[in-house]
This record gives sequence, C-alpha cells and structure tokens, in this order.
Amino acid sequence: MIDLLTSRVMGDIFLGVTQGVLYGLIGLSLVIVWQSTNILNFAQGAMAMFATYVGMTLLEHGLNYWACLAISVAAGFVLGGATERVLVRPLYGKPEINSIVVMVGFLGILEAGAIAIWGGTSRMIVSPFSLSYFQHNGKTIFLSPFAILQIAAAVTVMLIVAGLFRFTKLGLQLRAAALAPEVARLLGVRVNRLLTLGWALASAAGAVAAVVISSGFEGLTPTNMDVYFVFGFIAAAVGGLESPLGAVLAGVLIGMLQQFIVDYAPPSWASFSPVLILVVALMIRPQGLFSKQRVRRV
Amino acid sequence: MVSIKQFIANRPTSARALATLVATIALLGLAIIVDPLNDTYLATASIMAIAIVGLSLLIGLSGQVSIGNSGFMAIGAFTTAIWAQHHAHFPLLGSMALSVAVSTVAGIVLGLPSTRLRGPYLAGMTLAFAFAIPPFIQSLGTFAGGSGGLYFPTLQTPAWFASAIGEKDNPLAANNTWGAAIAIVVAAVAFFFMANFFHSRSGRAMRLVRDNDVAAELVGVNVARTRVLAFAISAAFAGLAGSLLAIIQSSVLPQTFGVALSIELLSLLVLGGLGTLGGAMIAGLIAAYSDSIVSRINSWTGIDPVSNLGGSLKGIIFGLILIATMLLAPSGLAGLGHRISRFVRSRVAQKKALSVSETP
Repeated sequence: MIDLLTSRVMGDIFLGVTQGVLYGLIGLSLVIVWQSTNILNFAQGAMAMFATYVGMTLLEHGLNYWACLAISVAAGFVLGGATERVLVRPLYGKPEINSIVVMVGFLGILEAGAIAIWGGTSRMIVSPFSLSYFQHNGKTIFLSPFAILQIAAAVTVMLIVAGLFRFTKLGLQLRAAALAPEVARLLGVRVNRLLTLGWALASAAGAVAAVVISSGFEGLTPTNMDVYFVFGFIAAAVGGLESPLGAVLAGVLIGMLQQFIVDYAPPSWASFSPVLILVVALMIRPQGLFSKQRVRRV
Repeated sequence: MVSIKQFIANRPTSARALATLVATIALLGLAIIVDPLNDTYLATASIMAIAIVGLSLLIGLSGQVSIGNSGFMAIGAFTTAIWAQHHAHFPLLGSMALSVAVSTVAGIVLGLPSTRLRGPYLAGMTLAFAFAIPPFIQSLGTFAGGSGGLYFPTLQTPAWFASAIGEKDNPLAANNTWGAAIAIVVAAVAFFFMANFFHSRSGRAMRLVRDNDVAAELVGVNVARTRVLAFAISAAFAGLAGSLLAIIQSSVLPQTFGVALSIELLSLLVLGGLGTLGGAMIAGLIAAYSDSIVSRINSWTGIDPVSNLGGSLKGIIFGLILIATMLLAPSGLAGLGHRISRFVRSRVAQKKALSVSETP
C-alpha cells in the first residue's frame, strides 16, 4: 500500500490532482459566467489575481491566513459585481466579438494596473500549512498538508456553488434568469440583479484559486494567473461550458494529463499539451465531454 | 477623357495598383527625407500594419476572433533567424518566402479546428496557442537560441542604394533608410494583395460565411475551406511581419512574442477599424509611435518611466483604448472618419437643397 503511494505513477497523480483542482476552480467560475450571461470572461484569472492582491495589501500587517482568504474572496465578489455593472452590461445583445475584445482589454488593464500598483515581483501569503511533502521510509509521497487543503478548498467551493444552485430559492432564480430571462422577468425575478450576482459569485470562486496559488511554491505575480486561465478555459471548454461539475472534473483530468506529459514526454511537448488536449477533446465532442446540450450542425 | 470615378469602376485592379504605386513612391520619398530615428518608426509602422491587416482579414472579414497572431509572428521571425544562422549571406526574399510558407502551414494546422469551433471556443484556443509558443521556442534549446534569442549579421545596405540617397559616408543612416524602404515595399505588396482579396470572390465568400454560414453553404461556398483559408492568409501576413521584424532588428527574442503582443495587435486593429485597409494603416502608424507617445505622456505627467507605473502605462492605455473604442465607437478611427465625412456631405447637400429651394 505504502509502496504504491510512493510510486512514480501515484506521485504524478497526486501532483496532477493538486494542480488540476485549481484549473477546475477557474473553469467553474468561467462556467458560472458563461451560463448566466453567455460571455467568456477572458479576465477571469486576472480578476482573481487583482482581488487577491487587494486582500494581501489590506492585511500586510499581522497576516492571518483565514482573514486574508476571506477579504480576498470578498474583494473578488465586489470586483465581479462591479465589472458586470460597468463593463459587461452594455454588451448584452451585441455581437460576440465586442465582448471578447472588451474582456481582453480588461485583462490588459488589470495586469498592467497590478504591476503599476504592486510591482511585477512574486508575492506570497504564508499559509499555516506546510508545503513539504510527506515522507515514508526515505521515500516521498507527493502530497503535502497544503496540497490537501488545496483540494479540500476546491471541493468546498464546488459543493457551495452546487448547493446554492440546486437547493436554494436564490439558486432557482439564478438558473431561471440564465435559462429564460424574459420569462423570469415576467415572473418577478430581478434578472439584472441576478446577473450581477452571478458574476460576483464566479469572481469570488476564482479568488479562492488565486489565494491558494499565492500560498504555493511560485507565489502570485500579476501575470502568472494567465496560465491558470488558459488551463481553466480548456477545462471549462472540454467540460462543455455548461456543466460546473464537468469543468471541475475536466480540470482534474487535464492536471493529471499535463503532469504525465511533463514527466514522461520530451520537454518541448509540454508547452503544446494544453492546445492539443483542447483540440482533440473538442474535435471528438464539440459540445464538451460533460454537456447534455446538442450542438448545432453545419 | 475618362473621369477618375469611371476609371476606378471599370479597371479596379489597375486603379488599386496605381494607388499603391503612388503611395509607395511617396512613402519612399518620405523615408529618404526624414532622419534615421523616424526611418525606424516608418519601418515599424509598415511591419505592424502588415500583421494588423492580416488580423483584420481574419476578424473583420471572416468573423473569427484570434488572439494567437503573436504566435505566427514568432514563427515567421524565428524561421528567418534560424535560416540566417546557417546561411551567412541569406537572401532577403528567400528568407521572407520561407517564413511565409512555414507560418502558413502553421496557420492551416491551427485553422483546422475552426471548422468545428465557434466564437469564444476558437478565441480561447488561439489564446492557448499564443501562450504556448514562447516557451516552446525556448525549449528547442540552442537551435532556436533558448531564452537568450538569436542574433545574426545586420542588414547590408547595397552600395547603389547608399550612393543614390547620398548617404555613402553615413552607413548607419543609409542602413535605417534601407530597412524602412524594404519594409515599405513589402507592406505595399501586402496591402495591394489584400485590397484585391477583399473584393475577390473568396473575399466575398468569407463575408458571407461570417454573416450567415447556412446561406453560404446553400449557395455553394465551401464553409470549412473558407474558414481555414482566412486563418492561413492571416498567419502568412503575421509570419511576413515577423520575418521583416527579425531582418530589420537582426535579433529575435522569444519573450517579445507573448500574449501581450497579441493583445496589442487586437487593440490597434479595433482602434483603427475592423475589416478596413485604411484602419490597418492608421493602426500601424499608432503602433510605431506609441512608445514615443507614451514617453511624452510620462514627461508631461512627471511619471518616472522606470517606475512600476511608468513601465505599465502603455498596457493600461491600450486596455482603456480597447474598451472605450468597443463601447463608444465600435467601427474604430476609420469608421469615425467615414461617419464625419458622411455628416459633412449630408450638411453640404442640405445647404445645396436649401439654396436651390430659395432661388425661385
């Protein structure tokens, strides 16, 4: 049993899952935004980064990890809601390219703005959990207390989102507003308010990922959420952009695949693996692996 | 005597060729007159205009959003640079052609999924591609120079050119003018091709696929091939721009061609105006002068250019421009010019109508 845990394959699985839950979290936020407003938020990763920097700054002195997490998530919530109100609302009903261009522009502003305010160097939030891997008889099990926290955090966020959407009245209204905004409006649902809330929730979920990343080995820089956005997008796209659970599962799957490619394939393959995974998965099932929706032919 | 309007209507290709020729001669004259610094700006403007007009075809004409053209520029630049490493006297045209060929193939490969993917899925895929290219080039090791990039012999100005412009004793100035002249001529050829393509059968087919792919299929347009063709041409233009950039700078760095460059291309394109040639030219000029404009802003506002804020000012301004243009004037500067001229013309027509009605 212990031999299995220290084997190379299990090491790759542990590392892959730890990384993959972060892709899943960003993918989950993209799915929430896509479901409620049919917009792909290219600034999702950058918004999470910005919110986490705000949290860090507010708690520069006497850092308490959990307070920092809470403030960052709250900052993400506010930032997401404000973004929907100011930038996204004028885009409803406009061609797809308008929203893509505006969100890419916002991504540029957030990253350049973060460098302007906080500088380009890496920053860390020191977590109370150790980053060093468990050891057994001189062999390494590629799991650390922090990695377990990371996985637990992702699962918690996912359960909260799923529970909110499925079991609460608010969740029912959110789904109604996304599915049939006109009907929902006629039935007295305040659709505009709910779209703002959807963006706020998505951004808060993304902020959890950024806080976790800022406590990891690399820390947080204004631009290192880019890679998480790309993988998160791939996870969401492979999962079908419609399915929150699909995004998380696809994220974990992609994290593992990537880890195996890095471990076993030549180094120049690793940089192209995300594009290949995306293309292959979407060529096989354009509607996503976990989506029930039928795709339009032509 | 045939009027200009008739000539344009009857012989559109000849008219475009004539216009290109006149513009090229004017720009070459400008390149000879201005100082070496402005020569480098003219070269940059031409190069960026080539890349932007290629992106304009893809986004404006075929309606497929790509954030990956920095990757094709990188492929073009590194093809030329690697070729120059192994051939001491590399022919200019040959290395440009090679770069165009390689990036076209890459464009077709990346374009293939476009037959199945739409809108944000496609844009996200191109973003993933743009993201993968710089680390991929670095991982190739010494062959592509790793993270330090490649350096190769600078552009040689032919003696006849130096003596023709009277800069025989000033090789640096002659070199800059020669570089600008090459970029201007290549850009002129590229724009001439694009002007004809916009009005060709394939160009019209692309527009139809963008607006209604079902209708396009019904009238016999091969939708899949049209989408991939747009990717191929766009990649070829980006590759050409990358190759020229490498030739003129005689060095390439993988980090230059990151996602930020793609965002810059997209911003400039949207600012200039989607799907228009004039917009791409304006955008190229803005690209060339953006650094000096930003440093002007720095000195006006007293922001230290090496501080965090000074260094990221350009990025912030580009992002703001992108959002403001899209929300306030989606047709860009070219569209704005069009709107103003239409407004003036309608005012003139109104005045005429008024004066006519007053005369009797």
